Amino acid sequence: MTQHFRLTAVVAGLAAFAAWPAAAQKAGGDIVITMVQAPPSLDAHVSSAQVARNVNLHIFETLYARDETAKPVPDLATGVEVSADGLTYVFTLRQGVKFHNGKALTSEDVVASLERFRKVGASATLLAAVDTIAADGPGKVVVKLKSVQSTFLGNLSSPRSPIAIMPAEEAAKPGGQARPIGTGPFKFVDYKPDSHVKLEKFADYVPNPAYKERDGFAGAKIVHVNSVTFRFVPEAGARTAALESGESHFNETADGPTAKRLAGNAAFQIVKVLPFALQVVKFNHAQAPGANADFRRAVALALDPDEIMAIAYPDIYKLDHAWVYPGSPFHRDRGAWKRDATAAKAALAKSGYKGEKLTFIVDSFRPNVDVATVMQQQLQAIGVAIDIKVADWPTVSKIGFTDEGWNFWTHGFGIEPFEGPASVISPWVKGTSQRKADPRIDAMFDRINSEMKPEEQQKIFDSFQDLMRDEAVALNLGDYGLFQIASAKLKNFKPYRIPRMWGVWLE
Amino acid sequence: MLGFALRRAAASIPVLLLVSLITFGLLWLVPGDPASVFLDASATPEAIERIRRELGLDKPFPARMADWYWRLLHGDLGRSLLLDRGVTEAILERLPVTLSLAALAFALATALGVAAGALAAIRHGRAADRSLMTLALLGLSIPEFWLGLVLIWTLAVGSGLFPAGGYVPFTESPWRWARHVTLPAFTLACVQMGFIARMTRSAMLETLGQDYVRTARAKGLPESRVLTRHALGNALVPIVTVMGIMVGALLGNAVVTEQVFAIPGVGRLIIGAVLSRDFPVIQGGLLFLALVYLAVNLVVDILYAAVDPRVRLE
Repeated sequence: MTQHFRLTAVVAGLAAFAAWPAAAQKAGGDIVITMVQAPPSLDAHVSSAQVARNVNLHIFETLYARDETAKPVPDLATGVEVSADGLTYVFTLRQGVKFHNGKALTSEDVVASLERFRKVGASATLLAAVDTIAADGPGKVVVKLKSVQSTFLGNLSSPRSPIAIMPAEEAAKPGGQARPIGTGPFKFVDYKPDSHVKLEKFADYVPNPAYKERDGFAGAKIVHVNSVTFRFVPEAGARTAALESGESHFNETADGPTAKRLAGNAAFQIVKVLPFALQVVKFNHAQAPGANADFRRAVALALDPDEIMAIAYPDIYKLDHAWVYPGSPFHRDRGAWKRDATAAKAALAKSGYKGEKLTFIVDSFRPNVDVATVMQQQLQAIGVAIDIKVADWPTVSKIGFTDEGWNFWTHGFGIEPFEGPASVISPWVKGTSQRKADPRIDAMFDRINSEMKPEEQQKIFDSFQDLMRDEAVALNLGDYGLFQIASAKLKNFKPYRIPRMWGVWLE
Repeated sequence: MLGFALRRAAASIPVLLLVSLITFGLLWLVPGDPASVFLDASATPEAIERIRRELGLDKPFPARMADWYWRLLHGDLGRSLLLDRGVTEAILERLPVTLSLAALAFALATALGVAAGALAAIRHGRAADRSLMTLALLGLSIPEFWLGLVLIWTLAVGSGLFPAGGYVPFTESPWRWARHVTLPAFTLACVQMGFIARMTRSAMLETLGQDYVRTARAKGLPESRVLTRHALGNALVPIVTVMGIMVGALLGNAVVTEQVFAIPGVGRLIIGAVLSRDFPVIQGGLLFLALVYLAVNLVVDILYAAVDPRVRLE
């Protein structure tokens, strides 16, 4: 049944994708997308939430953006000149770019936007290496770094909380108060909390002439539809109902059984966004027994990730234990998971663990609860007793970033493996995620940030992954994906980190 | 009557004060804050702290509480941390949605519930009585979220008679408004309908056995007049009380219905605020709901006194 479902979905998807380019593009229409929740803010700088990206990256653009393979490429810039010492970056701006308020983009807007992000950006550390930002005439921006940073263009193009370019007068406003005025292919129309955000095609948008078609968050963003409405529908059944009744064209997150049920229906396309995130299991190193590497190794040796992922993400997971996604230039095969119950028991005995009950915190996202539940069963076999505590995300994330109240915590790492090695290492620097600093990790982060040669960066990243595996600093159980379902009327859709509504049309 | 109403209104003030205190206390105990909604799982502690500072969450609890009461005294419920607007504005823009939904559900539950209950009492012990009471029990027992989903699948997805969710204001299109609120209003009304039907039946059965009903029949009044004027009229006292409770229940249950049908009402506002820890909206929203609940109870008390003058003497 599973194989049949996979085959049907893949064949249907391939057939549909193959047919689209040949089909005539049709202009007009309003695409309705259903999303789980509303963006916390339409001020692109202040939120790094996925739902905010889904909307904001249609409105705003960045100097550099990630392409289809997550490589930084020019977007609002035409390119960059880097000085020989690697400290000065001179960006040349694309000509003829307009903001949604009709104003032409100038270097003053770029300077004001970057300066604002340094102050209020949700991921302001992305620009931590920047010393000064200055305009050089209306079409050039000069950024000077304090020290060489190999990841600077990667940071600048990060979609995490996008370093969006906005008009200087909006950039002068405090965090959370800038109006959604960008240079993107869609223009903000209205936002009704608990209901929808509506965007319309920006009539004065000129697709980047350097590209022929869409390319990640960059490329030629050609808009065929009149408008896009993002509707917030938290209830999964209601999102599916909206799609099936024709009221929406795209369900941003569907569950496996629904995708399976609709896979054979010609009215829908099942889209698999795999990988979307990797499943991380964190240990609290500030508390016993998580502080002990033997204990952590015992846990790793006792687990069967295949069983865990198959239960948590049926039909949409891949056992890949690299800390970046396949397709990334830094991706290497990390081999199969080593499972050995005898070795696990021996390591557990060495760790000094006495059978005390340990707390596994997990948010109410069902697959995360499944991961915790299966782990609880598998660890029981070697004598580790776990008490699972489920709460909503704000509660769990509050506890998980403190030293007490938890021993295990599992959730997805979505954007970090997409961004690359430095982003993956970053959460472990100064012990932020594991609650106890590891000087070796901190040193690796500093080295990879200043190392300009990709082959040397690869070596550092390999050492980091070895350390994560050998000392089980945290566990990477594998990649999981998202099921998205589109109406067959939506043509030329290509899955990516966000559902991009440029390059698509309605039939 | 005015004195009675004023006394009842004054009694509501300590209740509101208590609600505000409990809401504030609970929020203080619950871990988590809105910063986590703005940021992803690997946000740095510095980023979290900065967001907390910007949202004013770094202030000590007593300072926040004093600030809240001071603003409340000036009629200001504060500003939402996430919605980019004042709490009062956020509530008021959603209020017509919830009120129209609750009003339609109230009308459906009352009209159908009273009719079914009265008919069951009149046909006491017969097939109609048994069938109607079975239906009433069914209505009482079905969980709202389940009924809502079933209605969506059968009448929206299956037959396309109604939209699967969303909301269109009455002022924009009365026809589309009616199509959008029918299924959620029926879902919301179902439990109350069963409740009212059972209540009406038992109250009617009681009054039908009273001496004044026998007297009315003995003096030759038409049966329809006996049933409506004497039996149903006197059975209204407990039913009016139930209706008061029902309004509160409808507003409370609207939370679930609005979630299932993706309706942007007050219930969904509060649920969203709880999940994202938008403290001012939770505090303001709950206080507002308490106020509505108390106002409805006040109206019920006044109506109760109007229907049964003995109440004013107590």
